[in-house]
Amino acid sequence: MTVTGQEIADYVDRVRAALADLPPAVRDELTEDLPEHLAEVAAETDGTLVDRLGTPEAYAAELRTAAGADGGGQPSPGRRFAATRARIAAALRGLDTRLGPLLGYATASAFLRPLRPAWWLVRGWLAALLVSAALGEPSGLLPRLSGSVLAGLFLLAGTLLASVWLGRHSVDLRGWPRRLLRLGTAALLLFALAALVNVDQHASSDEFAPYQGVSVGNPYDSIEDVFVYDEEGRLVHNARLFDQNGVPIRLGYPTCADSSQYPPRNVYPYCPDRAPFAPRPSAPTPVPPQPTAAPASPAPSASPTPSTEPTVTPTVSSPPGAPEPSDPGPTPTR
Amino acid sequence: MQRVDTTQLLKGVLDLAVLAVLKDEDGYGYDILRRLREAGLEEVGDASVYGTLRRLFAAGLLTAYVVPSESGPHRKYYALNAAGRDQLVRSGKTWRSFATTMDALLDDRGMAA
Repeated sequence: MTVTGQEIADYVDRVRAALADLPPAVRDELTEDLPEHLAEVAAETDGTLVDRLGTPEAYAAELRTAAGADGGGQPSPGRRFAATRARIAAALRGLDTRLGPLLGYATASAFLRPLRPAWWLVRGWLAALLVSAALGEPSGLLPRLSGSVLAGLFLLAGTLLASVWLGRHSVDLRGWPRRLLRLGTAALLLFALAALVNVDQHASSDEFAPYQGVSVGNPYDSIEDVFVYDEEGRLVHNARLFDQNGVPIRLGYPTCADSSQYPPRNVYPYCPDRAPFAPRPSAPTPVPPQPTAAPASPAPSASPTPSTEPTVTPTVSSPPGAPEPSDPGPTPTR
Repeated sequence: MQRVDTTQLLKGVLDLAVLAVLKDEDGYGYDILRRLREAGLEEVGDASVYGTLRRLFAAGLLTAYVVPSESGPHRKYYALNAAGRDQLVRSGKTWRSFATTMDALLDDRGMAA
């Protein structure tokens, strides 16, 4: 036998497409026996069905004439729509057959059919999300009911079971329930797309990642502010920190209750009032007394150096009490 | 004038032929087709026979029943009902009469059978 089942199916499809202008009931009745008939023809003869029977279109024309089912006159717009739909369906089936081998199956639908239960589960999940969203609950990927994930999980279990049940029973649906189901599926897919876009936007924004840029386990995580003291134990205002490449070192964040004036980032300390060691009055004194006012000098140079100039590091040039936020600082060396 | 060939003649008598081959024995589509071919109607088209069966069934001259087959697909068998037998008798008479008339017409003019 040289005729395959696929060839028979294609032939039937083309005959049906050629009869698409007939009322569906009449067409179904006319082509009811066709697959069986073609199978018998194929079993008895060599060569293709077209060799033996002519083109499907010619076959359809002959069938139509013999059955006296000419439809009578001009095909109505509805019939023409049906014909177009049938042609599209036939084209889709052709595509189905052609795509199948790419997936390693006879047809693409043969590949997709076993995945149907998976779709039922996804559908149940989407339905739970939809219910959750319809009730105005903030949902991510898990449904929530009145803010409770547990209640949401019960809802999820319910919709999953319902979806699977529906999947097992929807094959028998005809008429408007079937149409309703398709409409629901379309709505659900639309919702899924919207939800996906929403989650995707959140995932790429700061809302889900508020601590962006802070590495976990960093020993400097607990640092809120930085206080620089000069050699004399005076608090240095508006200090700037840079690494060896001239990249500003960012530590901490402004937490002052008095945040009326936000200090520029990277200018330390953010909150001079919180200096761990009592800051000196900002009036610069050329010869400060011994740093007894400060409980401890953080500077490593505990030895009394004769230097009277409060030179801290080359990178900090602002004297205490004279903030110069516009100071561009040193230019990076690279 | 259009050439008269068997196909055209068949169109007129296919109903009668189908009813006739179902007179003694029920049959399914392909079976009926085979009986017609075996009876000498070689040029009968598959689709024509199927279409005719549908039309006769729709006209209430045939009954149909499905028989599960051990080897292969289920088959829809057709049988003559009372109306079909009646139609067969009447169409048969009409054909006989028509054929006799045609024969006589040709005989009168010395045409070989």
